Amino acid sequence: MDIDIQKGMALIRGIPFYPTVQSKAKYALLDISLSALAAAFEEVAKRVPEFQAEIANWNDGRRFAVGVLPKGPYITLEKRGDMTHYLGKGLLSPDVTFLFKNLDSGVLVFTGLMSSHQAVAECRVLVKGNISYAMELNRALAIVQTYLFPGIILKRIFKEPPKLSLGQLITKGKVYVALLPALIRQMV
Amino acid sequence: MIPNYYQFYCPVKILSGQKAMSNIPFEMELLGCKKAMVVTDKGVVDAGLIDIVKTAFADSDREIGYIFDEVPQDSSNRIVNKLAKLFVKEKCDCFIAVGGGSSMDTAKGANVVVSEGSDDLLKFQGVENIIKDLKPMIAIPTTAGTGSEVTKAAVVYNEEENVKMAFLSDKLYPDVAVIDPRMTLSLPPKMTAATGMDALTHAIEAYTCLQKNPIDDVFAKVAIDLIRRYLVRATSNGKDKEARIGMANAALLAGIAFSNSNVGMVHSLAHASGSVCHVPHGVANAILLPWVLEYNLDKIPEYIAGISGALGSSVEYLEPRDQAQVTISLVRNLLTRLNQVSGLPTRLSDAGVTEDDLPAIAQAAINDGAHTYNPKDLTYEVALETLKKAF
Repeated sequence: MDIDIQKGMALIRGIPFYPTVQSKAKYALLDISLSALAAAFEEVAKRVPEFQAEIANWNDGRRFAVGVLPKGPYITLEKRGDMTHYLGKGLLSPDVTFLFKNLDSGVLVFTGLMSSHQAVAECRVLVKGNISYAMELNRALAIVQTYLFPGIILKRIFKEPPKLSLGQLITKGKVYVALLPALIRQMV
Repeated sequence: MIPNYYQFYCPVKILSGQKAMSNIPFEMELLGCKKAMVVTDKGVVDAGLIDIVKTAFADSDREIGYIFDEVPQDSSNRIVNKLAKLFVKEKCDCFIAVGGGSSMDTAKGANVVVSEGSDDLLKFQGVENIIKDLKPMIAIPTTAGTGSEVTKAAVVYNEEENVKMAFLSDKLYPDVAVIDPRMTLSLPPKMTAATGMDALTHAIEAYTCLQKNPIDDVFAKVAIDLIRRYLVRATSNGKDKEARIGMANAALLAGIAFSNSNVGMVHSLAHASGSVCHVPHGVANAILLPWVLEYNLDKIPEYIAGISGALGSSVEYLEPRDQAQVTISLVRNLLTRLNQVSGLPTRLSDAGVTEDDLPAIAQAAINDGAHTYNPKDLTYEVALETLKKAF
């Protein structure tokens, strides 16, 4: 059975333009994932008190970006007041940036197959900027992921999966409901 | 035991042993260099160690262009930029760093400024942000030690922004590391103990943290074995050359291990203790190591158990958890021995930390990048609890 699958994969890889098609598909997947992450950052900032507490000490105007080398996609957000605002696609003068070295590394993390700390441990991610800003961003990102991913994925991607209270689960539901309109707003 | 994916890189040429420094002019020739900028601190000069470096050039056509001895305890961007300007002015073509971590970091920082043609170090901080090839660098450690002679990291304090800038890049590896037993003979007992425990922490964290890999495991285990054999000997009798070269090699091997496998929670807490209370790095590592091993125990008992043999355990249990407890008690025994021989502190309260400092240290620790690689999460509450236990 495994041999048949491998033979099938080898056949597919031999199709002309397959690498280009595969690359474009990965790019599209990451583009949507990063857009969803950006929307999640905004919606979580509006509703989750522990996220607001985490970014309370950040300087106003601090910008952070997440993206994939060498050609994107990228998203940049900015802290204003007690919220994080999505500025748009691209690297827009961020103070700290998390960059995946390639599309494959990005796909592993954004499909929930690998945790971000495991990606760092496997040298799949670069960090540009102040390391303490990066650690603060990492904690904020962990909170966003808690409210973005279902429990089964959280068990895989966290060293110690968070246990949400009933109130937090309700908030998570509200984030889910708000996410799709937020995503559509971004695309329009 | 084989990780899903790992990377290993160590391009440093290592010269170790009797009269190793005599080979420096020849190595400079191989690197295409004629005139060296020696980077060191006043303590190394006063100990007469730079005179040993100078004798290496006595019968050679290579020369020392300038001896910069203003390296402070923690490297700063002001000093780095001053050094870089001197490097260009004196028309040097390579760096020779002689000293501990600060001298190495200062030389690495100045190398970035000179080679990238920019004095704004802020834009190079982070991971793999240095693009251009750097000038050749030869590293001669005088402690055993930080392992900076074989690492890809440098930390420079930014005086204007009041932040510590961390740089990690494959470009930062020195070209040559020279381990000469003469260079650590004069290290006082307490410093020998503290820097030796720093090396032990590097090796143990490299072996037990998330980025571990089979190549670094070998370096880490041999380092631990050498430390077990030689650290107390070197601390008790500084003139024991075999012990000194053994410890210098242990620090080097531990440095190779952690440069690829990284460190963990011990270093986050130690960095924070250093920045808040100025606890020397090796002292902080020594005090915190057994407590962090206890904290990590339930997640990685087999890894902690795996180093008990290198630490000298003659007892073997079937259960990894029990064997791991043996490892932790061996580390504690070593710390107690070093305390008896050299006065190395065993508690944070003996190292100048007050109870009021603990919250600030915990807050600084969670913002330190090292704990990303720790098997268990480091939250503010966990950091505070660990610090209280070690207090």
